[in-house]
Amino acid sequence: MLKINWFSPLPPAHSGIAQNYAMQILPVLARRHQVILWTDQDSVAPEVERIARVARYDPANPPWRALNDADVAIYHLGNHGGIHGGMWQVSRQHPGIIVLHDLCLHDFFAMVFLRTLEKPDAYLAVLQRWYGAEGRRAGEAFRTGGMGAETMAQRFPLTREAARAALGVVTHSHRTLTELGETPACPVAALDHPFAPAGDLPYQGWLAVRRSTPSPPYRLVVFGYLSRNRRLDSVLEALAGIPERDQFRLNICGQLWDESHIRAEIERLGLGPLVNLHGFLPEGQVEEQLSTAHLAINLRFPSMGEASGSQLQFYNYGLPTLVTRTGWYASLPEDTTVFVRPEHEVEDIQAHLRAFLADPGAFLAMGERGRQSLRNHDPGKYVDALVEFASAALNFAPRIPALDLARSIGGDLAEWLHPAAGGYLLERASQEIFKMCAGKISRSRPEGPV
Amino acid sequence: MKVLILTSGVPFIRGGAEILADSLRDAVCAAGHQAEIVALPFQSCPPSRIPEQMLACRLLDVTETCSVRIDRVIGLKFPAYLVPHPHKVVWLLHQHRTAYELWDHPAAGDLIHYPDGPVVREAIRQADRTFLPEATAIYTLSKNVSGRLRRYSGIDSKPLYNPPAHAPLFHKGPAGDYFFFPSRINPVKRQWLVIQALAVCREPVRVRFAGEADNEAQQAECTKAVRELRLSDRVEWLGVVSEERKRDEYANSLGVVFPPVDEDYGYVTLEAMLSSKPVITCADSGGPLEFVVDNQTGLIADATPESIADAMDCLWAGRRRAATMGEAGREHYLDLKIDWENVVDKLLC
Repeated sequence: MLKINWFSPLPPAHSGIAQNYAMQILPVLARRHQVILWTDQDSVAPEVERIARVARYDPANPPWRALNDADVAIYHLGNHGGIHGGMWQVSRQHPGIIVLHDLCLHDFFAMVFLRTLEKPDAYLAVLQRWYGAEGRRAGEAFRTGGMGAETMAQRFPLTREAARAALGVVTHSHRTLTELGETPACPVAALDHPFAPAGDLPYQGWLAVRRSTPSPPYRLVVFGYLSRNRRLDSVLEALAGIPERDQFRLNICGQLWDESHIRAEIERLGLGPLVNLHGFLPEGQVEEQLSTAHLAINLRFPSMGEASGSQLQFYNYGLPTLVTRTGWYASLPEDTTVFVRPEHEVEDIQAHLRAFLADPGAFLAMGERGRQSLRNHDPGKYVDALVEFASAALNFAPRIPALDLARSIGGDLAEWLHPAAGGYLLERASQEIFKMCAGKISRSRPEGPV
Repeated sequence: MKVLILTSGVPFIRGGAEILADSLRDAVCAAGHQAEIVALPFQSCPPSRIPEQMLACRLLDVTETCSVRIDRVIGLKFPAYLVPHPHKVVWLLHQHRTAYELWDHPAAGDLIHYPDGPVVREAIRQADRTFLPEATAIYTLSKNVSGRLRRYSGIDSKPLYNPPAHAPLFHKGPAGDYFFFPSRINPVKRQWLVIQALAVCREPVRVRFAGEADNEAQQAECTKAVRELRLSDRVEWLGVVSEERKRDEYANSLGVVFPPVDEDYGYVTLEAMLSSKPVITCADSGGPLEFVVDNQTGLIADATPESIADAMDCLWAGRRRAATMGEAGREHYLDLKIDWENVVDKLLC
């Protein structure tokens, strides 16, 4: 049994990681291991405190002595700077396992360095560290509006910065960090995103509701934290552009990155009677929305590399889904989802909506197959794999000071030794540093699914 | 044979390890060899400095200097024992204890208070596991140190006892009305525990403490405790005393009280035995337990004020018994045949 310091958003935080991921994992994890839930949130839901002990920390002054009583820390990082900023500040000083809920983390670092910490120099320094002068120039352009956030996220994802002090990194995407050009200097594991499906009884109830309303208007649903890359503009444009639009009702559920813009678009496109903005939904209303929906739209472009808890939620309700053929989404089974090509977004959405109208039953069957695919996402198996990975990654702890030492020695030598003279010394130093971690690096697990 | 003794320490702080290194050098020279001590300054705070010093040791080449070949290296302390040499013998005084058994000790733990403490701890442990076996032989100061080395690092070693400095000069005197507690003043030696014990003694027990505090705050804490417990007339702080004065304090004491936390070896115990004095120690004191036979050469108490108070009361009220135990202690020491010739033979063979 491990003693684990757990850092993640917790309910009532408006985050899928808090509401779905953490609440599915933690009961299982806490039954098998000793878990302390560390939080810097203003409040934590009472049901969380019933799962495990909740402890508070100040990101500016973490309680190291108490944290060091555990065997390992597990940090969850995603692109929301407000939610993940505190835990990142701890993670960069106190090495542990980093679970990446997004792979492209430029948005996160931009928010943390430029808004929260107000340290633009630090922001530029991390871009310089990983991408050289080009990264720094791009960062300067981004700060002055000369480069967009999406371009920055794709070209300078800063994933390695998030993993800089990590003992190990866990992703939920089969799109590898190597493919992204962001391989960290630590072991990496790709685990299937966990999801505990609801029982068959409620599921059959939801199906019955859906089957009982087989005629238009059909309910479309968009769900989750709705940032720019969720392509709402395209969805609205596609819906507005088909003559059959009155046969649909679009329900937008979740916090919008720019609500006034979306409202203006709805107005401009004349979609007012067809679109409802629900905002962030409490758990009870989520069920109401998803159990009565006919088709979910879950687009991402550009993808930040994340697996989607929302997608698994749609499968849970047996909902057929439109996804972008990109990142993790591209790996979803072909018979459980329909794909939208990023470069033909509006055109593809419209084609799928027409196909739905032509044969709703085919889409219903697709949703049911999606539900069956959740068997691969069992939280118990996930917890076992996560803990096994964390236990193995602890062997790599000596590498953290060894890498720091290598950077420090390399930097020092570069300052006072001519490269021709420094070669021997560098070689000796690097050999000894390597021996200090006793070849553990060579035992690193190959990146891939566990 | 040209022998280098490698050790590390804090400049201007002199304790048992420094005395041992001096004694070893003298013994090696007395055996007809040439020996010098190389003492590296060591800084453990912040923890990130520790790997730097480990690397510095690894980069030291002491196989020869200016065409003078070094025949044998004897490594004593972390990180000096990491220095490579084809004929290195380790005589381990102790590993970096706060990376091991003192990691979470409430008073002594230091790495545990830092964010990078756990990874530096693992780096230290990994380096020990990797580099200690390079030695052609590994001896330790005591069974206690060997036990820890086996338990934490999986490395076998042999204990090799050495006598205290100037062992022949220790002598017996008339038993006075005080217990003697010579040691550096710090939380691990637990002077505070003896002060608390004095407060619950039934007998008018007195204690003389000798030695320097590791820092002013620790001395101030002890002094404050004595004042608050109204023990000023039963406690004396002798500070740093000469070797001669120390031997006299041993000789004229009723007994010696020495309750450290998991001591590596504990010269105090041996010095007390050489002075024919009984030793009160604790069940968790480590090294002293290899020499103190409960109720024969001293008393082994629990690490509580009450238990130590009982032991001190027992000897205070039973002076004849205390004298008998002291004599038994000296005989036990002599039976162990602890001498430098044996140490040098083993380390240079």
